[in-house]
Amino acid sequence: MRLSWMIGGAQGTGVDTSANLFGNAVAKAGYYIFGSREYFSNIKGRHSYFNVVISDKPQHSIETKVDILATFDAETVFQHFDEVKSWLIYDKALEPMSMDKVRSLEPEIAEKQAAILEKAGLGITIADVVKYVSGKGVKTVAIDYGPLMKNIINQLKMDPFAAEKARNMLCAGASFALLGLDQQLLVDAIKFTFGKKELFLNLNTLAAQSGMAQTKDAYGLRPLPVQGHRVQLDGNTISAMGKLYGGLGFQSYYPITPASDESTYIEANQNLNSGDSQKGVVVLQTEDELAAINAANGAALTGTRAATATSGPGFSLMNEGISWAGMNEVPVLVTYYMRGSPATGLPTRSGQSDLKLALNAGHGEFARIVLASGDHAEVFEDAVNGLNLAEVCQTPVVHIVEKTLANAYAVMDESVLEQGSARIDRGKVVFPDEPEKYKRFEITDDGISPRAFLGHAQMYYTGDEHNEYGHITEASDNRIAMYEKRIRKMEAADKFLPDSKKVNMVGNADTVLLTWGSPKGAITDAMEELKGSGIEVEMVQVRMFSPYPKSTMANALKGKKRIIAVENNYYAQGAEVMTEHLGIMPTHYILKWNGRPMAKDEIISAVTDIVKNDTKKVVLDGGK
Amino acid sequence: MEVNEAIEFNDWCPGCGDFGILRGVESALSEMKLDFTDAVIVSGIGCSGKLPHFVSGPISGVHTLHGRSLAFAIGIKLANPSMKVIVDAGDGDTFGIGVGHFVSAGRRNADMTMIVHDNRVYGLTKGQAAPTMPMGEKTKALPKPNINEPINPVALAVASGYTFVARSFAYDTAMTKELIKQAVQHKGMGLIDILQPCPTYNDINTNEWYKERIFKLEDDPEVHDPSETMAKMTQALKNAYMPEDKIPVGLFYKNEFIPTFEERLKANIPNYMEKYPADHEIEKDGKPITDITRLIEARRVL
Repeated sequence: MRLSWMIGGAQGTGVDTSANLFGNAVAKAGYYIFGSREYFSNIKGRHSYFNVVISDKPQHSIETKVDILATFDAETVFQHFDEVKSWLIYDKALEPMSMDKVRSLEPEIAEKQAAILEKAGLGITIADVVKYVSGKGVKTVAIDYGPLMKNIINQLKMDPFAAEKARNMLCAGASFALLGLDQQLLVDAIKFTFGKKELFLNLNTLAAQSGMAQTKDAYGLRPLPVQGHRVQLDGNTISAMGKLYGGLGFQSYYPITPASDESTYIEANQNLNSGDSQKGVVVLQTEDELAAINAANGAALTGTRAATATSGPGFSLMNEGISWAGMNEVPVLVTYYMRGSPATGLPTRSGQSDLKLALNAGHGEFARIVLASGDHAEVFEDAVNGLNLAEVCQTPVVHIVEKTLANAYAVMDESVLEQGSARIDRGKVVFPDEPEKYKRFEITDDGISPRAFLGHAQMYYTGDEHNEYGHITEASDNRIAMYEKRIRKMEAADKFLPDSKKVNMVGNADTVLLTWGSPKGAITDAMEELKGSGIEVEMVQVRMFSPYPKSTMANALKGKKRIIAVENNYYAQGAEVMTEHLGIMPTHYILKWNGRPMAKDEIISAVTDIVKNDTKKVVLDGGK
Repeated sequence: MEVNEAIEFNDWCPGCGDFGILRGVESALSEMKLDFTDAVIVSGIGCSGKLPHFVSGPISGVHTLHGRSLAFAIGIKLANPSMKVIVDAGDGDTFGIGVGHFVSAGRRNADMTMIVHDNRVYGLTKGQAAPTMPMGEKTKALPKPNINEPINPVALAVASGYTFVARSFAYDTAMTKELIKQAVQHKGMGLIDILQPCPTYNDINTNEWYKERIFKLEDDPEVHDPSETMAKMTQALKNAYMPEDKIPVGLFYKNEFIPTFEERLKANIPNYMEKYPADHEIEKDGKPITDITRLIEARRVL
């Protein structure tokens, strides 16, 4: 089973909180959840929404059409009414409200939504929307939010302005009761979150209960048996956890969406037990991203595991620092939260348009590693591997996590965090016996020099071409030898991870969905249903882009009839990288660059279209 | 003063003020008995940036990027606060391309020393006007007189929160050495702005020009009680903005009542000074030992 629910509302009115509590309560009944958050580059007032998918199996993607649309304002109804399949929950008092009164609704969207209603011979009020969706078979629940909230306010004798903020919980409650699960689960989730603030605990509990009284069991969900523990984690948090587990000692950052939450989480949890003692991870908020990358470079020279986290605009500023790290063989990890580019682009939406920037960041040719995670579990694993690869190959590592994963949460089995199998490899670390004679850049067979830390030997670093001691030299022979040494390290990087961690291959079919990053989720969730309709597909998902896993990919794609590149960008950059390395071209494309994640139903219809009609390129536009 | 016998090869122009600064750095390191085990010299880009490569004596050097020396330095210092971090950078490095880092370093007051090679020109790119060159000055490489007002390094440092602010003259190696020692021993962020001739590109602010104008400051620059802070800052600013016919050198301002960044971090990380990041153990037999169980448990739904 797979059921999807969407709640929307103005930013600052608790859309996030209600979606988290709703998901938490459903998860407590033994269901897996995938929740995806969409919001504006704004703090208060603009429309945000949360899309939550519920299932008895692990989920990794959303749907463009939802089963239940839960609203407590007019804008959500107007913006999303054409995306609901079964239930619309709305505020009865808003029925006379006209779309042109909702100032925050973007004119491009208003025009499109009004046209849908007009085409059906309707006006543009909420009442018209209710008529429209009813005509499509959607059941509607009109809730008297005002009077219901008034009752609660009287009961608690509290400030009406503060109490109005609980409308979100009333809405979540009405949705929750439709599912048919034990109502106590939602009450418990509220208690867990607001436990220490009695007034808010009471307010939210009463609001949820009041909401639950408005609807009846429509889906008949029952609790499921569960083995082991389950966790609810978003991409920012899981990346932070991976870095901490991997031994991070220093993280620098400059505030930017959607990367900063990782750094603030690390700072909030900076004191950790390590072996028999305590240790503190230093988190430094810098003056800009130039300082962020270079402070991390500096920290790395002392032997601490150092990292930074940013997104497109910040990463652009980090280019020179990454180049210095390449030249000076600095183990530094950059977690790159990819969002809608170019420039500030879509600051709070997602995208995969910067892959080639990550692959070519910093002037010059040097060994570099680029990893791209496809789901939450991979983010954890790649964060640990990224820190290992940085030290083993003594080179900068870029770890790509898209906004889609950063701001989505998944309820998953705790075991997927793979703590048990994680290893730490610090590479060639030395404490020289003759520290005055140490050569930081000693030329070796594999290109990797024994690495001592600042304080343990006399050493020199410089961005200029240098000799084995790190002193500047422009001599031709030395230049040739050093240049080759730095690039030779790519062979060690290529050998470090097993093939299965570089390329993820699922299924075996003539039709390959070639992808990377977050589209993995929608593809994974779509594969079974496609098979059911007679379309067998295989997924080949690239997790390591540099060094490119050439032989693995060549084998994976040998003799395939269709190679469909599935990416959140215009050029299919991941496929272009494949062509550059292997000379293989995709045969078809499924692309999306509207800043919204790929949805399961979009993949199903696009793949079906390509297989049935040989359509060369399908451009997706799902999500608002 | 002990001077190292083995002089490293070096490619600065004959007569460059950098030689004086280099001697000052070498002598200060030697007298304080600092070497690669407890100190590091971080530099930027330009003629001054090469300094760590030219130091004779057992020291480590990190020659970084144009403008970014302080960014690297703060990373090194916070990851290993047991090290003395000395930064050498040029005036363009510090007050042009890297001025944001300069200001932020003052706000943090980490226990580091910043030495600025202030010759008012971009030497290694053939003599363009640096941010410290006075308005209207036309050195020989400039096609037209400079039309930017200069930054006053001492005043900017005081305003930014530096707690040790000094000015020296490159050819006075004894004073330079003394001020470097004091800055390194000072608890907090120190600036020594070192006036230096560029014999190749600055034909105005020459050795002779400086020698006619320089005099030693006699005011007591030190804050002895926090209540004196404003008065001492005001005094420092007044001295910093003295007309150029008389140029004061020496210590302008010193205040050890401001907590260092390391002390501020220690408030959040109780064992920070004993167990700093460079000293963290992170694995045993290849297995991670950082315990994140508490973090995972906090996110458990079942």
